Amino acid sequence: MPCGAAEGILLYNNPMTEYSTFARDSLLACPDCDLLLQVDSVPAGSECHCPRCDALVHGENTYRNDVHLAAAISGLLLFIPAVTAPVLKFTMVGQWGSNSLLSGVWRLWTESEQLLALLVLLCSVLAPFFHLLLSFGIALVLRFSRLPKTFPDWLKWHHWMQGWSMLEVYAMGIIVAYVKMLDDGDVFVGNGTYCLIGVLLSLILCNQFFREEFAWQRWEQRQQELQT
Amino acid sequence: MTVTARQQGLARCLSCGKLCRMPEPQAKHRAHCPRCNRAVSYRQNASLTYSWALTIAAIALLVPANMLPILTVVSFGQGDPDTIMSGVIKLWESQLQAIAAVVFIASVAVPVAKLVVMLLLMVVVQFKLPLSKQQCTLLYRFIHFIGRWSMLDLFMISILVTVVHMGNIANVESGPAALAFGAVVVLTMLAADYFDPRLLWDLEHE
Ligand SMILES: [Zn+2]
Repeated sequence: MPCGAAEGILLYNNPMTEYSTFARDSLLACPDCDLLLQVDSVPAGSECHCPRCDALVHGENTYRNDVHLAAAISGLLLFIPAVTAPVLKFTMVGQWGSNSLLSGVWRLWTESEQLLALLVLLCSVLAPFFHLLLSFGIALVLRFSRLPKTFPDWLKWHHWMQGWSMLEVYAMGIIVAYVKMLDDGDVFVGNGTYCLIGVLLSLILCNQFFREEFAWQRWEQRQQELQT
Repeated sequence: MTVTARQQGLARCLSCGKLCRMPEPQAKHRAHCPRCNRAVSYRQNASLTYSWALTIAAIALLVPANMLPILTVVSFGQGDPDTIMSGVIKLWESQLQAIAAVVFIASVAVPVAKLVVMLLLMVVVQFKLPLSKQQCTLLYRFIHFIGRWSMLDLFMISILVTVVHMGNIANVESGPAALAFGAVVVLTMLAADYFDPRLLWDLEHE
């Protein structure tokens, strides 16, 4: 449902101090086109799209902490086997070969492709791991309302890791590599792939159920508590 | 009548989404978001400069990424290096059309499309071209969404070089194009991140 575009004059009758801000739920700026939007009329629980460019201005405002926490924990539990267990096994005239996420990085590194190895390490191992770890931390401190002073940094890093975590692309890479090798020998799917699918599902659930705006608002409340 | 946040002296924080009241233009100090303490400005700082620089660098690297060999399959001492395109053609010829299409889209179509769209968006902003802002915004969201899928080729290389590593019988080695291609992917992702789509809509208010 679209929110109504705010009209110019009616907004500012009372003088405002520097940096003072509006309550999030009444006045918003579209992230993609900067249109000022008044969202009083939007019922709780529904999404709000920009009437001019259709960007998602305000997502659902329900946050399921239990699902978020459970997804992060299961993702972390599966993570070690997912990056160390063999993903694909290949046999050709009696010779065996296999790979895991970490050994793939190591092989690139020893092949003097260090920069490439670091890029693959970041996108397939480090970013997904820290994304899960930070999701776990964020869900935990939100659950017990004990936000640390560094909470804004957690949220910023979480956002960054989310952008560079590309396990779903890696999964597609496994499929392509599998089909490519079928011609030359026998290929088997290893346990690492199954754990990887589990991690992938956990990451998707984390992304689906986390509400960044909710976390920021809780941080705002905490800031106010600290001041008083 | 449409009103933008900027016209009311308000700016959306890029990090936490908070709407912040900006100080008067003559104020010397930089505004900081009261919620997350990051510096706030009306638009992404030097958005167009960074986008141009990153896009041009990516275009330059696209040449070695496509001309140099990216993967060499050596089987019983024989094998020629493959470029991205010759690899796709080989897949197609060995009756793996679906996989050939996937690799072609991820390694050729997506990077080229991203760079073309980036150029288009930047030219629209730079020269104030009267194109549909809705459609430009759609293109912007599209390249943001598909950018990461270019990493597919690099992940596949990392899998293949590790699995097929059997001494004299069969060996897969990565070529110099792999690094160039990785750089193209990272640069285009950063270029898309730096581009501020609100610059497109600002043209409507001039
Ligand atoms: Zn909008």
